[in-house]
Amino acid sequence: MAADAARRSRPGPLLALGQIRYQLMLLLRSPLGFFITLIVPLLLLISLNVVHPPTAASMPGGLRYAQFLTPAVSAFCLLNACYVTTVTSMVLAREEGILKRLRGTPLPAWTYFCGRSGSALVTSLVSIGIIIATALVFFHVSIIWRAMGYFAAAAALGMMCFFLLGVAVTTAVPKTDAALPIAYGTVLPLAFISDVFFPAEHAPHWLYDLASAFPVAPVARAMEAAFNPATHSWPMPATGLLVVLGWSAAATAVIALRFRWEPSPIQ
Amino acid sequence: MPVSACRPKASAHTSTALPTLVPPGAETSPLRGRDLPPERCPAGMIKGPTSLGVQPTSTEDDGMDGAPTVQPPAIVVERLRKDYGGLRAVDGVSFQVRRGEIYALLGPNGAGKTTTVEILEGHRHRTSGSVQVLGFDPGGGGRRFRERIGIVLQSGGVDAELTVREMVALYASFYARPRDVAATIEQAGLAGKRRVRVRALSGGQLRRLDLALALVGDPELLFLDEPTTGFDPNARRDAWEMIAGLRHGGTTILLTSHYLDEVQHLADRVGVMSHGHLVEESTPDALGGRDIAGTVVSFRLPTALPAAELPAGPWDLPDDRDGEVTMHTDEPTRVLFTLTRWAVGHGVELEGLTVARPSLEDAYLRITDDASAGGRSGR
Repeated sequence: MAADAARRSRPGPLLALGQIRYQLMLLLRSPLGFFITLIVPLLLLISLNVVHPPTAASMPGGLRYAQFLTPAVSAFCLLNACYVTTVTSMVLAREEGILKRLRGTPLPAWTYFCGRSGSALVTSLVSIGIIIATALVFFHVSIIWRAMGYFAAAAALGMMCFFLLGVAVTTAVPKTDAALPIAYGTVLPLAFISDVFFPAEHAPHWLYDLASAFPVAPVARAMEAAFNPATHSWPMPATGLLVVLGWSAAATAVIALRFRWEPSPIQ
Repeated sequence: MPVSACRPKASAHTSTALPTLVPPGAETSPLRGRDLPPERCPAGMIKGPTSLGVQPTSTEDDGMDGAPTVQPPAIVVERLRKDYGGLRAVDGVSFQVRRGEIYALLGPNGAGKTTTVEILEGHRHRTSGSVQVLGFDPGGGGRRFRERIGIVLQSGGVDAELTVREMVALYASFYARPRDVAATIEQAGLAGKRRVRVRALSGGQLRRLDLALALVGDPELLFLDEPTTGFDPNARRDAWEMIAGLRHGGTTILLTSHYLDEVQHLADRVGVMSHGHLVEESTPDALGGRDIAGTVVSFRLPTALPAAELPAGPWDLPDDRDGEVTMHTDEPTRVLFTLTRWAVGHGVELEGLTVARPSLEDAYLRITDDASAGGRSGR
């Protein structure tokens, strides 16, 4: 039918690109999102390094603290850009009725998720770029070029897993006010036990094992290893990879079963 | 009478025929701009869904043999039911909406209006019954279905930090055949607010933006769920003007409301919902049979003449209290003619002469009260 031909929908990839642009624009205009993704990790890098850095003697393998902290804060960037921002902004979009309105248009659902994950990817890259550049210039960190592939691969795994977990967690957040406390309430304890701020070398065994059961530790440890001159092979153990993939699969299942486009019913 | 004569708004819907949403000199009363169709269907003809089969709704040439195209109704709902757990929100509702028509679902909060509309929009799944919207089952209509509808939600759903232009352009980008962004903004009366962020818009302006977003995809069918709930009178008037403007573009509109004046002002036909049932379907003017029954004529009897002197006429016995006469009649024209001829003949003045119909509110309350009583006794 002629009318149907004229109504042939726009190509999905084009819509997906439009969604990435839309999400980035929203992030740039939201002071909270900007602060979380770009400023908080930078503040951490600088303050932890300047205020009271552990001496090289107390670091595993005699590594300089900045050499450890740079990839560690990069892992924290991933948590912020892919997990915290996803939880807060998607809950906001759902509760404001933005998701419901989008669902009433021809925009395919997958392009929306593309927009979300694409913007998480871009902000991750930008914030990690800022962290590494700052570390290079001010803390004289050295890049181990042969291990940069490991760094990128570990970061990619982290981005995927943290984004999926972020979307999955939105299904458990009832309202906008609760999003930020829940996001940071889950991320910060994990980050503390997962070598993101300090090396967990001296932590009790049970705490180390507990952290290893969650996806932050394997990703953070692999990214940190990629900045260690002693690293010569893929630094993520198979159990770590399984943990990351397992959490990703579980998050995907939760999204498939529980994700909703509608705001929570008014209490 | 040919059915098509009841369809004055059956102009073909074209993507270029944009309605003027805000007429110049928008300070005029909305009531003045009522824009009633020149011919209204007689009440009896549209009382029930059974009289509404497939109807010729367009005189548009189909390009083949010059015969008018026959279009099926825009919406066909049959025995629709929706349960939430143990609660039956919609219970056996059936109705049809013709192309180009403004159909209102009227009812108190919790009557099932929004649930019904959300099923038609594809936002909710039904428990049972059949639903066809533009020939699609909205539950599985997918993108092709959503290309052709526009939805104005009860509230919100806009990004506060985007500008009006960015918002409308974003939504235009979702559609295969969108309207022009700048023209849509202008027609929504937001031309001066193009670069203003959404957060800075007033309530009435937000509603205009809502409508612009729903219209930018050039929909054939528009869903308006309580478009003016919580509005101040000015914002309501603005919204009414916009909706009335769409009538001319041939857009089919399904409206929900719990405001009687809104329905009276906008709708061609109205379905009254109560406790999940569609309890009456009518034109606003004929709701509760008020177009034909129960006209009240009253006046004060001249002191010089007792009630017994009144001429014979098609009325019940006058209720004479202190010279105040009130008559209920189904034939107000004949009553008035008889009365006034008599009064002029006797050289008396009928003081306080009034002719009144039961108000829409009276009719509506009676319908929903009856439905509530029926609903309660039935449980």
